[in-house]
Amino acid sequence: MKDSEFDRLLEICRLRLEPSERERIKGDIDEIIGYFGTLEGAEGAKAEPSYHPIKVPEKLREDKVVPFENSDLLLKGTKTHRFYVIGPDV
Amino acid sequence: MKIGLEVHVALPTKSKLFCSCSSISDEPNSAICPICMGFPGSKPMLNGAALSQAINVANALNCKISESTSFVRKVYFYPDLPKSYQITQTQGAIGGNGSVELESKRIGIRRIQLEEDPAKIVREENYTLIDFNRSGVPLVEIVTEPDISSEEELREFVFALKSILYYLGIDIEKELKVDLNISVAKERVEIKNVTGLRNLIDAARYEIKRQQELVAKKQKVESETRSYNEKAMRTESSREKESDEEYGFIYDPDLTSYSTKSASVQKPVYAGKIAREYGKKYGGAAKTILELIQFDKRSLELIDYAKAKWPMQNIINVVEVLKKYGHMDIPDEKFTRLIEIAKSGTPVNEQVLKQVIKGAAVETSNVGSTDIDKEIKAMIKANQKLLKEYDKNPKVFNFIIGEVAKKLKANPKDVSARLSSILEKI
Amino acid sequence: MGVISEFRKMGKNGSYHQTLIKDLKRINEKLQFLGALNESLTEGIPFTVKDNICVKGFEARAGSKILGGYVPPFNATAVERMLAKGFGFLGKTQMDEFGFGSFGINTQVQARNPFNPDKVAGGSSSGAAVATAVMKYHVAIAESTGGSISNPAAFCGVLGFTPTYGTVSRYGLIDYANSLDKIGIMGRSGDDIREVFDIIKGADRYDSTCVDTKVKGEGKKKLVVINQLMKGIDEEILSSFDSLLSQLGEMGYKVEHVSIDSITKAIPAYYIISMAEASTNLAKYTGYKYGLQRESFTEKYNAFFTGARAAFGTEAKRRIVLGTFVRSESVKDKYYTKALQFRTAITNKLGQILKDAFIISPTMPITAPDFEQAAKLTPLQTYAMDSLTIPPNLSGLPHISFPCDYKRRMPVGAQLITGHFNDYALLDFVSEWEKRFEYRFKYSLGAI
Repeated sequence: MKDSEFDRLLEICRLRLEPSERERIKGDIDEIIGYFGTLEGAEGAKAEPSYHPIKVPEKLREDKVVPFENSDLLLKGTKTHRFYVIGPDV
Repeated sequence: MKIGLEVHVALPTKSKLFCSCSSISDEPNSAICPICMGFPGSKPMLNGAALSQAINVANALNCKISESTSFVRKVYFYPDLPKSYQITQTQGAIGGNGSVELESKRIGIRRIQLEEDPAKIVREENYTLIDFNRSGVPLVEIVTEPDISSEEELREFVFALKSILYYLGIDIEKELKVDLNISVAKERVEIKNVTGLRNLIDAARYEIKRQQELVAKKQKVESETRSYNEKAMRTESSREKESDEEYGFIYDPDLTSYSTKSASVQKPVYAGKIAREYGKKYGGAAKTILELIQFDKRSLELIDYAKAKWPMQNIINVVEVLKKYGHMDIPDEKFTRLIEIAKSGTPVNEQVLKQVIKGAAVETSNVGSTDIDKEIKAMIKANQKLLKEYDKNPKVFNFIIGEVAKKLKANPKDVSARLSSILEKI
Repeated sequence: MGVISEFRKMGKNGSYHQTLIKDLKRINEKLQFLGALNESLTEGIPFTVKDNICVKGFEARAGSKILGGYVPPFNATAVERMLAKGFGFLGKTQMDEFGFGSFGINTQVQARNPFNPDKVAGGSSSGAAVATAVMKYHVAIAESTGGSISNPAAFCGVLGFTPTYGTVSRYGLIDYANSLDKIGIMGRSGDDIREVFDIIKGADRYDSTCVDTKVKGEGKKKLVVINQLMKGIDEEILSSFDSLLSQLGEMGYKVEHVSIDSITKAIPAYYIISMAEASTNLAKYTGYKYGLQRESFTEKYNAFFTGARAAFGTEAKRRIVLGTFVRSESVKDKYYTKALQFRTAITNKLGQILKDAFIISPTMPITAPDFEQAAKLTPLQTYAMDSLTIPPNLSGLPHISFPCDYKRRMPVGAQLITGHFNDYALLDFVSEWEKRFEYRFKYSLGAI
């Protein structure tokens, strides 16, 4: 993987790596992706994709309002201002 | 010119798309829970009513509805998106391949998808304030083909869409977010996140003009993403660069696929089509009928009730007055009475309406009973001789009626009624 | 009789629990397997919970710095059901960050093996296995995505049961890979696991993927060994396994060897799916809603998020990058979709075999390695350690790791796999095994 491609991926993930960490991750990445690539063309590649290992029948929720009982705890770990959650600048 | 839209409309469910929080709220962060806040450990559970409403939208927009529908995660980072991915739809969308019929054109609908709304963000000077009440409110996204080719068509389409949704119980103005794609030349410009109908039209007008001017000057239109600045009323280049490559859609493994078969499907109402049909069949201007019924179920109900029994002109007159003075809840017999009055030649106005509502007798005449009285009295005064012959010769009676009616262009029946009452008093 | 029934009969309360907590704290200094502790516990059969499963009011870090300070305002369904049955929540157990690891070393607090503290406890449910290995009257709620229950259970010499995908609600589980994550149980006997399983399983209105399918217990007399899985296994483990097979032979089981070429593709398929899903699950950690608070709000959001996300460990970052890569639109079909297709193919193949047989193998190719050895492995070498535990996990098949031998004073585990929703058959099997084989535990804190 080219440096530019690797950097683009990091940007998409909002990750920045220290030089040593970058070396470790970048160093192994081609080997791992190569290993992942062994699936291509291998036997078994023609089956339907399965999104779950078992059949998951549908379950729907009734359209009913049930307020969350511990709502006071939801904003406990975050900075707030006039009931708003404070977030970074956009 | 090609214009295509991605219209996001909030669905009127009681609770949110994937949790039981109320979708209506006032105080910031008062209708939130671990699920719509994206707390670690929480999981989504689909609201059956939202699914069913989205299916109804797809059906009303003549879409082919998928047998089963499923959700994907669209990953992007922004402070209003609690999980940093939005649960939305792509291949497994509710439906697609539909259309909206305009007066002289058909606008293709590419896809209808159900998705969750992000939170509301308030921009402060150098930070943001976030209200998660809106996070998780169900949205239906309507993606059109780029079939719209002028500002007028855009307007017509938007109102037609608004009307169709109105008849499904969905208020497009409650929360409307639109991505506009406009290409005057070859290059496509996307204007993201335009909110509200008015801004939509204004943004389109501005952008069409901007691109036309560039083309006229033989300058290149940049294929880019822009945003609409409401205050300055212009579109501006934005640096957004996320695309499908970055979103990296995957099937949302917290959910499964859902059958669309069990939803109860309402019969859609196409006001434009109805107005044109009624105009043709019963008379009356299609445009006027459309104005009455486009966003008013009751008007359509009243018109449907009366259309086969009375002239459309009279019905329109009555419905317009009822609407203007806020009496749409009128009972059938009074509505009928009003139409009868209109039919008899007396235009229904506020005064007539009030009397009928009160249950009082109405002096029916298009010129008003006082005018008729005045004219009758003048006739009598000028022809004392006639009066003497009155009880001997019924023709005199008819003569007076004829003269007065002719002069005032009044309904002879009304004149006759007034005349009797005046003669009785003499 | 399991420890649960035994404890219930004794009905210990109050000072029992307080003494246990004191003892636990002391041994935790040595083995470092605990997270938040419920110091005020005074009643109920003690149970611990892996730190990626939410217990209301107790910090849940899932082994990550980025979740530091996250106190869930709700209970996971499994926890809720345990509490409702009178079990006593004792504390949280350590793990590899978000479940990303095979040795319990991808986190700040690294649990140590009770048989030898120089050796790892396994991963990712490292702390759950240690807790089970040191306490007598206790059960552990753990979780497996690709082997995180079997692996540490084998390394620490306890039973590790991973049920069929979807039988136990994931509500309250901090996601690693949603289509693979399974809450399971560690314990010291088949009876205990059965009792806990009966409590926590069953449909849940908070988890869309949790099903209500009836769980069976159809015993099988045929044991299948898959040839391709037996490569790269340590000699001493192979000898333990041979001896196990011959003992099972005496118990009336028939062993059959089969070849499945595609089984070797389970590892890449598993890692692709799990990383793709993980990279979306970890996107939410951006430093302001819960957990780590960055507080430099005047930064632009991208810089703010990137700054906060530096708190992920190296393995988490690696998996985010790789997971993001394999689901990128331009290569998605080559990796992500292909992996999903292999999941189908492998699941079908294993399903055929499991109709009339169990699949059996050692649980791990080695006994618990030293910390240094484990740290030296490359990512691919580490991923290969999961070669035996991945197939049933990829396919959502119920499996159990049970102690079958001890080599150089370290436990050796074997893993039995059965078909979807035939979970009870595994528990029946170990109950039978326990009549013949006595498990050895180094400690038995809380014994009366």
